[in-house]
Amino acid sequence: MKEVFRIALRNVLRHKRRAFITAITMMVGIALFISFDSLMAGVDRMSIENMINLSHSSLKIFTKDYLAERDVYPLDYGIADPQAVAKRLGTDPLVKAVTTRTEFLGQLSDYRNVLPVRGIVINPEQDPKVFTLAKYTQGSFFGAGGADGADGTDASTGVNLEEVSNPIVLGSTLAQKFDLKLGDTILLSARTRYDSQNADEFTVIGLLTAFDPAVDNSAFLTYATANQFLDLENLVTEMDVKLVHRLNIDQTVRDANAVAASVKASDPTLTAQTFKELGRAYFDLMGTKRSITLAMVMIILLIAAVGIVNTVLMSVYARIREVGVLKALGFRRREVVWMFTLEGIFVGVFGSIMGAVLGAGLNYLLITRGIPLSFFGDSSIAAGLPFWGTMYGVWNPGTIIFALVFGVLIATVAAIIPARKAAKMTATDALRFV
Amino acid sequence: MEPILILKGVRKVYQKAERSVEALRGIDLSIDRGALVAVVGPSGSGKTTLLNIIGCLDLPTEGSVRYDGRELGRMSEKELAVYRKENISFIFQSYNLIPVLTVIENVELPMVIERRYSRKEMRERASEIVDAVGLGEMADRFPRELSGGQEQRVAIARALVKNPIVVLADEPTANLDSHTAEEIVELMERMNETRNTTFVFSTHDSLVQRHAHRVVTIRDGLIRADEAEVDRRINV
Repeated sequence: MKEVFRIALRNVLRHKRRAFITAITMMVGIALFISFDSLMAGVDRMSIENMINLSHSSLKIFTKDYLAERDVYPLDYGIADPQAVAKRLGTDPLVKAVTTRTEFLGQLSDYRNVLPVRGIVINPEQDPKVFTLAKYTQGSFFGAGGADGADGTDASTGVNLEEVSNPIVLGSTLAQKFDLKLGDTILLSARTRYDSQNADEFTVIGLLTAFDPAVDNSAFLTYATANQFLDLENLVTEMDVKLVHRLNIDQTVRDANAVAASVKASDPTLTAQTFKELGRAYFDLMGTKRSITLAMVMIILLIAAVGIVNTVLMSVYARIREVGVLKALGFRRREVVWMFTLEGIFVGVFGSIMGAVLGAGLNYLLITRGIPLSFFGDSSIAAGLPFWGTMYGVWNPGTIIFALVFGVLIATVAAIIPARKAAKMTATDALRFV
Repeated sequence: MEPILILKGVRKVYQKAERSVEALRGIDLSIDRGALVAVVGPSGSGKTTLLNIIGCLDLPTEGSVRYDGRELGRMSEKELAVYRKENISFIFQSYNLIPVLTVIENVELPMVIERRYSRKEMRERASEIVDAVGLGEMADRFPRELSGGQEQRVAIARALVKNPIVVLADEPTANLDSHTAEEIVELMERMNETRNTTFVFSTHDSLVQRHAHRVVTIRDGLIRADEAEVDRRINV
């Protein structure tokens, strides 16, 4: 056995160049797999975090009746005692912040064109603790400070955005449709809580660009404004909960499920949906994306496997007479198979280790520096997916170990095929082979 | 004393594509223990086939091969492997050393395969035989660093290291110049005398034949002449 090992190892070392070139194929395959997986996981994480920070929060609480009709944003089913719910959630160590929101359907008009709009009434003190919309707002996000500064005065218009009577923050997609700038006014109409129609002029104090179509097509008001405009009387149709940050998405999902379960258990009229349930479409897409990634990697590794088959096959053909001698000396068939298979394994192990090291190196760069989407030439590459800016990788030791094991496994399987071919020959056939 | 090897009516037919080639057409041959036998004949006469059958690398289509009173044709695959491993060694025309092993490692290889010897015992026996073939100084060299004659010496050492009863050598001097060829045959002769090893070797070379105790001439798969040393001396 030791001799078989020694012969195999020395044969690999004897044909260094051949072995090295094959190992490089393996290395590239494995490194690409690790980096690609890291990037995909990074994009997933970023997307999920953006989903949580911009629209879904970690979980949303509604009344059961509201959820049944949520598609039309009814103002009929408010949470009876939001303060009590918030207080109860405040004692849960998993909960970081809670805010209240009320969504409604309205219409925006500049007296020429009319567009339907989803209105979101927010609590300006609590909302920034759950959502990070202010970060993406040009102008002001109801005092939470926009991209332009906190003093309230917009540099381009000179309007003090904090002091307007009917402030509204618009998603930039909506604003563009009406060609609105900060300080401009727009007519908003909606049905009030008591089903009468109301309309009023609002001043745009913030323009929100979050690249999330749901956010960029919404209009935001505060309860202070909406209580008058919609006769809300502080009606709260949903509560948004932000949980403590976890590095692991699966852990975040488990946390959200646990809090959702406790909400449901504490009040039978309430229900809760986690970000995973709210973003089901994206999570489904994530699964598909993962399958595609895996298929791509399989193809890359298959190419590497062909390289291994070729290397071992060349080795077999170059040494068929040697096989004859070994068999004449008493080598058994399985020892011949093992000898050539070991050669493939050596190349595979070497290639896989190099691939893992290179992959880890690339991964480090992806994690620390990332790839700006502008690198791909167009920042709209995200095409409606909730990520933008710079794509970062994620450390996943499991992937590196998987790639290593998988690489060695592929190399072994690839080497066994020609090795068996060599072992099948009789000693005389092998010795006669020219 | 009964001969160590007895072949009776051995035929070997190879099936090549759609035609069959009869390499041996009924060989009767007996070889005494400790003999130094040369099998001569033109290319394609059946020399290598005969050696392969004696060495159990190939099976006869017909006829019987008895080794030390035992019929090889009745042995199982496993018994044949044991017989080959314990009694027979091979020397090849193109030496066929394992290129990635040193001289001493090549010589140790048959013992390694047998797994019966300790590391120390293997090294001692290998060193002894490597010295005996005159390559003591080159024990740690690789085959690529040796001349053809030296490589064949290693092959002989490898064949002899387990003290086999029979050594089969297929054209052992074909790739060597006449001087080296003679040295190699003299080495086999010396080993034959000192160890009483039976050598059966095939050759074209008349110089080499002179050293044999017996020369068996084979042509078209049949033995055409079988001369003992004494007869040949008379003929000369």
